[in-house]
Amino acid sequence: MAMDRPVAVVAVAQTPSYRRYDDGEPVLIMTCVNDLLARTGLARDEIGFTVAGSCDYLSGMPFAFVQNLDGMGAWPPIYESHVEMDAAWALAEAYLRLQLGDVDVALVVGSGKSSPGRPREVFSLQTDPYLMAPLGIDPPSLAGLQARTLVDAGTATERDFAEVVARSRRAALDNPNAQVKQEVSVDDLLAAPYFAAPLRAHDLPPISDGAAALIVAAGDRAAELAQRPAWVHGLDHRIESHHPGLRDLTASPSTALAAEHAGVHDGPIDVAEVMACFSPEELVLRAALGLDDGATEVNPSGGPLAGNPMMATGLVRVIEVAQRIFDGEAGRGVAHASSGPCLQQNLVCVLTGERTMSAERA
Amino acid sequence: MVLASRRANSCPSATPKRTGPPAPQRPPGAAVAGVERNVFYFAWMCAAEPAGLNKSEATLELPYSRSTGPVVGAFLTGLRDGRIVGARCGDRVLCPPLEYDPETAAPLDGEMVEVGPGGTVGAWTWVAEPTRKHPFPHPFAFALITLDGADTPLVHAIDAGSPDAMSTGMRVAAQFGADRHGAITDLWFVPEAEAANQDITPGDEPVTVTEHLISLQIRERLYPHRIRFAEGLRRGEIIGQRSPASGKVFVPARGYDNLERVTMSEADDVVVADRGAVSAFTVITPVEYYGQKETEPYIRASILLDGTDQAIMGVDLRDIPVSDMRVGLRLQAEWRPSAERDVSGLDNRWGGAWESVIERWEPTGEPDVDPRQLQDYAF
Repeated sequence: MAMDRPVAVVAVAQTPSYRRYDDGEPVLIMTCVNDLLARTGLARDEIGFTVAGSCDYLSGMPFAFVQNLDGMGAWPPIYESHVEMDAAWALAEAYLRLQLGDVDVALVVGSGKSSPGRPREVFSLQTDPYLMAPLGIDPPSLAGLQARTLVDAGTATERDFAEVVARSRRAALDNPNAQVKQEVSVDDLLAAPYFAAPLRAHDLPPISDGAAALIVAAGDRAAELAQRPAWVHGLDHRIESHHPGLRDLTASPSTALAAEHAGVHDGPIDVAEVMACFSPEELVLRAALGLDDGATEVNPSGGPLAGNPMMATGLVRVIEVAQRIFDGEAGRGVAHASSGPCLQQNLVCVLTGERTMSAERA
Repeated sequence: MVLASRRANSCPSATPKRTGPPAPQRPPGAAVAGVERNVFYFAWMCAAEPAGLNKSEATLELPYSRSTGPVVGAFLTGLRDGRIVGARCGDRVLCPPLEYDPETAAPLDGEMVEVGPGGTVGAWTWVAEPTRKHPFPHPFAFALITLDGADTPLVHAIDAGSPDAMSTGMRVAAQFGADRHGAITDLWFVPEAEAANQDITPGDEPVTVTEHLISLQIRERLYPHRIRFAEGLRRGEIIGQRSPASGKVFVPARGYDNLERVTMSEADDVVVADRGAVSAFTVITPVEYYGQKETEPYIRASILLDGTDQAIMGVDLRDIPVSDMRVGLRLQAEWRPSAERDVSGLDNRWGGAWESVIERWEPTGEPDVDPRQLQDYAF
């Protein structure tokens, strides 16, 4: 499908990533939404489409996504949608929706509280319901399998994993929203015991509560709403088999394919925010996106290892890139989001400070 | 290279072209005790146990019975019978078996081939802290295991005793449990040298359904406004909140006015009347389901308390005959004696735990409220 209508991110908002937030998810959302409306000066009814990403299993409440609408403001009635996924995919839906031409402005919201439940148990439910979920296989164990394949293949070492963690925590010192931030040495990290060998606990993301939201607008409307919009040059997402045994866990072919179709390689990448929730994933993603280590700043926010408000984490990557474009720090950036075990499904979004039409892609 | 800190607040955006009202307050939770900032990592383990009495725990259970189909059914029937099967796919054997060729999506002909019980470990990880859902309560390995005769690996658990016993390329063998149900949990793996010979009696009928109980535990602190609500109920008061934006009174309050999109605080708490009118009701005929406790038809009502703008819902009424129930019926709460009021079951999610603090709702005998005035207050 040709994306004829240029779409841009015009405003972003996020809550800090909390270890535990002792109030409801709608409140986290309401904060972000009110912030966006205040900053853009938009009235609630000027938003033509609202779409959210969240996970009822994570909340432990059926139809939690409906109560989340309280935070977005659903009165008078609004035109809205929901994905039971990270809100980066809600952005994908908003981006497509704006292509139809009848809606100019959309609100995208992501939120999640991981603290009340047990994410290791919740997200084992993403796996094959017959062959894997009854074993309770959890994301850290799956990430441990992926880490093992990388070490066995000689592609990465445990020291490489620790370096990712050290970089993340150091970068997070400059991010007021990050949860885990410190100067730490690689040797100190390597001295810690294994959790899902060859991974250690610090190779895993923290448990976080938080929300994030952004406003996208099309064409001239975007230019009206922001001085320097972050234009979507391309957005694509691809998925691999849900059977880990059928995949090459040392690489991310779906990320590489999505990157190609999103136009990552159409120009230089100044900044990349990748959803590496486990440290080995950052190495796999750098390679899959074809990032130039020397020229591209990767995860200056600290990335998910510094704060992981699940279901908002991917949207936060888009937000962090967009903000740097707003500020003039970056001309072109890529945001990546992932869903499912071991980077099973990947979304790539390329943002630029220049308004261009993205080329038609197969 | 260290970026200079450049953000004064946590909600940045593009420079707006239009001015708007000042940015609203930070999330209330940020100012309330109980929000922690971790300097150190926190692994993906169970949520930190909140101290103190103001916490709620709930278990969400979803008992699934999943039908199996021809391929997964054959696989699970095999497990029940002490065998592992894969699916022929051209010159390969896929285990676990699939209905379609994973490369071309072409349907497979359904030929099943026995594989294993021995196999070779590809990737593995040592699970140092098992969850309740794992196959073993003690540390064990998850691994990708290519069974003898198969060309693709399956994910399963190895009870190896120690990570020192694990290596990529090692040999393992399947062991079947005495109690098998036609599920992936009917077997596990051990180092091949430790495998015992087993004499398994196959079952009679093919496995066509497999059971999977999903059971998730939620444990969290009561939100501040819920704590105040619970304490109010203990005192014999119903606490709502009046919106500073619209003046509407919400009960039980959620800590915000969802119609105006503003948060509320203790300053917005109000004591509301413990009398009102039935705004809606339903008579529920019990049906059988997992966890059902009811046997006789029962009433659930919504009651609009005087002076409020939101009905309380799900009120259990056992003392009013169904034939007397009507929209507009005026009721007065008769509270339990103070010592008998129990709010321990209150959580952050649902309504008011009314039965545990209010013994019954008594018709007052006053003239009914006109039902037309109540039609917007069913929920």
